[in-house]
Amino acid sequence: MARSTSKDAQALFNSLRSAYSATPTSLKIIDLYVGFAVFTALIQVVYMAIVGSFPFNSFLSGVLSCVGTAVLAVCLRIQVNKENKEFKDLPPERAFADFVLCNLVLHLVIMNFLG
Amino acid sequence: MQLVSACTKTLLDSRGKAAAMEKFSISILLIISLLPFLCSSFSQESPTDRRILVLLDDFSLKSSHSIFFSSLKSRGFDLDFKLADDPKLALQRYGQYLYDGLVLFSPSVERFGVALDLAAVLDFVDSGHDLIVAADASASDLIKSIATECGVDFDEDPSALVIDHKTFAVSEIEGDHTLIAADDFIQSDVILGKTKIEAPVLFKGIAHSINGANGLALKVLSASPSAYSANPSSKLSSPPSLTGSTISLVSVMQARNNARIMITGSLDMFSNRCFRSGVQNAESAIKYDKSGNEQFVAELTKWIFHERGHLKAVNVRHHKLGETDEPAMYRIKDDLEFYVEIYEWSGKSWEPYVANDAQVQFYMMSPYVLKTLSTDQKGLYHTTFKVPDVYGVFQFKVEYERLGYTSLSLSKQIPVRPFRHNEYERFITTAFPYYGASFATMAGFFIFSFVYLYNK
Repeated sequence: MARSTSKDAQALFNSLRSAYSATPTSLKIIDLYVGFAVFTALIQVVYMAIVGSFPFNSFLSGVLSCVGTAVLAVCLRIQVNKENKEFKDLPPERAFADFVLCNLVLHLVIMNFLG
Repeated sequence: MQLVSACTKTLLDSRGKAAAMEKFSISILLIISLLPFLCSSFSQESPTDRRILVLLDDFSLKSSHSIFFSSLKSRGFDLDFKLADDPKLALQRYGQYLYDGLVLFSPSVERFGVALDLAAVLDFVDSGHDLIVAADASASDLIKSIATECGVDFDEDPSALVIDHKTFAVSEIEGDHTLIAADDFIQSDVILGKTKIEAPVLFKGIAHSINGANGLALKVLSASPSAYSANPSSKLSSPPSLTGSTISLVSVMQARNNARIMITGSLDMFSNRCFRSGVQNAESAIKYDKSGNEQFVAELTKWIFHERGHLKAVNVRHHKLGETDEPAMYRIKDDLEFYVEIYEWSGKSWEPYVANDAQVQFYMMSPYVLKTLSTDQKGLYHTTFKVPDVYGVFQFKVEYERLGYTSLSLSKQIPVRPFRHNEYERFITTAFPYYGASFATMAGFFIFSFVYLYNK
């Protein structure tokens, strides 16, 4: 009874997929953006593992820009999600404005540290 | 003194005592500053020895070896003859050495005069002065122990002489083959001079061998393979301990402070008799009218007393390629030029030394760069190289040790720094992916914000 078979895994995967397709489009766009940022960060880490960390400041700024913007996008998603009771009274425009401002600061810092 | 008093009189007569005092003190200072140039002893500028102390067993040696001593005097040495057990013997007074070189022609001395002993002789050599030790069949333990300290072991048997039944010198009188004609010289133009010594050297005395542990002693004249060391008047009871070419007849040692020591087992080699006589080797049929002793001894003493083969390296300079000032620090991957001047003392003046095997190392725990210096034939050696890609404190090291020459060991320290942050290229090639990723993230954020805002 406790044995997990591939059929169970498949059933789980299908239920996840159907639940996910029920989320609003705006959240899906945010998820896509987060996925893109993390993927870019991963590429950079793999590159550093191959070539070495010579201009370490450039590596840090590249990875940090991706990870930082991913984190800010996750924060945006949390604040905008209507199912989240914690941020019920926060207008989504305010959340988006915070997101844009923080990204501006982040990219300013990245440009300086990039060398 | 009279000159000084005349000067003061004239000065004081002129107007103004104050002005006169000034002139007086200036003239005194001038006279005092000229005094060092009156000294002509061993100094860095003139390395040849000048004052030699010759210790003899008895003064008859002065006449029996007169050719040797007069040739030394004609080369400019001041010889001071003393008996080896003279109680007033002194090598130094008030801490200053009175002599620049010591010649021990006193093989049978048991104890030197009061102020001199084995330790004093060794201190003399340790302070950079030269030594010639000649022993013979009557060599005492003192002389043998001086030789042992210099890396040369005489035969223990007090009655043993070098005997050679094949290359002995043919003569009418002595038939026990202890007077040998040796021609196995060391191959060195520096030690024995450029002119080849044609005639063999006459030798009659005791054998010695170089101590294997000593790397600084050299055999200048070796015995032939048929020689051995034994008592000529008694039958051999056991094989002799010293045989063949391991027997050295004349050895030299150059200490690490460049003091030169010559040790030989035959005082007769320096005598007038051997200088003047002809020599014929029993093995070959060639008869020479004059033995090679005089030339051999003259050339070898020239080397011993630093008239030849004494090098100095001065004026180490370095600078970046294209500049002329010496910087306080180099950066990695700089190109730099290195100069050094090497001179050889010719007995009277410093001549440029010409060689093609001097090398400079750029050294930090191990040589990162080792380059052979090229010369301009006038004593200036230089080379160019690139500073390695390692930072730290390096040294320019010139280490030069060749047979017969004084050893040169110079080093000059210089730090090497890495690139400053603005000395890298503006856009580093290996960092392009990071640049690209940062800009891609920015573009991604821009596009995302549009899409998010205008998404129905």
